[in-house]
Amino acid sequence: MLKPPALGFGLGLRVDHYEAILADPPPVDWFEVLTENYLVPGGKPLHYLTRIRERYPLAMHGVSMSIGSTAPLDREYLRQVKALAARVEPAWVSDHLCWTGVAGRNTHDLLPLPYTEEALAHVVERVRAVQELLGRRILLENVSSYVAFRDSSLTEWEFLREVAARADCLILLDVNNIYVSAVNHEFDALEYLQAIPPERVQQMHLAGHENHGDYLVDTHDSPVPDPVWELYAAAVRRFGPVSTMIERDDHIPPLAELCAELAQARALCARTLAQEGAADGGGSAAEASARQRPRRAVAAGS
Amino acid sequence: MSGLAHVQADFQDYLLRESEAVGAHVLGTARVPVATRLGIYAGAYRSRLAEALQSNFPALAKLLGEADFHTLAAAYVRTHDSPYFSIRYYGDALPQFLAAHEDYAAAPVLAELARWEWTMTGVFDAPDATPLTHEALAGVAPQQWARLRFTWHPSVRRLALSWNVPQIWQALTEDRERPQASLNAAPLPWLLWRHELTSYFRSLTHTESALLDAARNGWPFGELCELLCEELGEAQAPAHAAALLRDWVGSGLISGVA
Repeated sequence: MLKPPALGFGLGLRVDHYEAILADPPPVDWFEVLTENYLVPGGKPLHYLTRIRERYPLAMHGVSMSIGSTAPLDREYLRQVKALAARVEPAWVSDHLCWTGVAGRNTHDLLPLPYTEEALAHVVERVRAVQELLGRRILLENVSSYVAFRDSSLTEWEFLREVAARADCLILLDVNNIYVSAVNHEFDALEYLQAIPPERVQQMHLAGHENHGDYLVDTHDSPVPDPVWELYAAAVRRFGPVSTMIERDDHIPPLAELCAELAQARALCARTLAQEGAADGGGSAAEASARQRPRRAVAAGS
Repeated sequence: MSGLAHVQADFQDYLLRESEAVGAHVLGTARVPVATRLGIYAGAYRSRLAEALQSNFPALAKLLGEADFHTLAAAYVRTHDSPYFSIRYYGDALPQFLAAHEDYAAAPVLAELARWEWTMTGVFDAPDATPLTHEALAGVAPQQWARLRFTWHPSVRRLALSWNVPQIWQALTEDRERPQASLNAAPLPWLLWRHELTSYFRSLTHTESALLDAARNGWPFGELCELLCEELGEAQAPAHAAALLRDWVGSGLISGVA
């Protein structure tokens, strides 16, 4: 099955920026919206979402699917996600490769899974069920993690790759999360990238983290740091010009500041692809794929 | 219980109840031991829910101050798990918690302020509806008026408040000097609603609150007029009823008639 076309360079839509976006539409190709923020009956959130959707393509990004939980799927939640998707017609719908709670509880955290055959089979079955229910393929994002499980028999990248292959879903690679987990679990981030099949990667996230000396915490509250930019360049070399966005969840700066950071991503991507092209005599697979893919989705509302 | 279910149950029990069984499932390193690693999750869980309370009850947080609100949030998080898929709904039981907790029950204005803020949040993202216009109302045939029933905007809420919490809330929200908490002689009826994207509130007279509550309970206009006759007498009732209705329509409180 073909992937949706790439959208270019986007930002996470945040409440603080609603008015600025509408007053002076910024040079952003698309916005990623936090699904749960719009699973409300009405009022301002849905009003602004509709108005911004009239101007930009959107992707929906959720935090409560709990795809890896052993609790039953929350069908009411999925019904609401589907209804929102019907309303805003997102380019795609994503959530995280994690679990958020069991026994009717939501910890509101993206909790890690043990990378076992049992967990793999369980997640694959649930992704299939969700895709059936939503009537679309979903993207799953790798989360940052701080613990490893005694029972794990696979690496994180093997687990992610197998989930995507067996359930036929797509991948949202959070480059910062790979970096954070690589430091925390002492693995090689490049080995991770090499294990992920390019045809599965639909989107990338860029973000910052907090350095605690012996470990990193994924805070998504600061600019993208140098090591994450370096890993992003490596990801661009492997995956080509995949839709990329900057995800800032806290300490939200003015929109112009995020646009400048996004321009940095855009430039780094272009430079990396040009270098790849020069090194390959002008014919890298990434560039070929860039030529084949439209740069932007069709205009919003069309 | 499967291996995965066991891991998840123990992990969640650690976050919610500080149970230690999860330790058997996880690995640490020399550099970062298990306790540190798990502690990142425990800290994140508690601070995320506390932040949700802070964002759902900003005026209460300001009134209590950082340290006292932190103590309250920690106590609430310890005793209230979230069953919600959206963190927006976390904190629904805070008014009752404050009213019942020995440390806060002595200041009942706190529970009432929490109730006010929670109600305002419900008004903010209540379903949308197109308000009835004066023109549409004018088109109703005279013989239909007595049987006319009103559909209310889904954002309309009513509260009876013993304290001056709307004034306290407003001062806190606008960073103005806060009035002293004062107890009303009797609970005062308040009306909260949203018109287009703006939330409004105002106090009601006891006559208007009785009429409005009856109308929201489905009483037809004719019976509302009779109710008003009992309160005001036949001479004043019709004009007063018409004026109230005009005001309700003008404020966007009514979204339909049938």
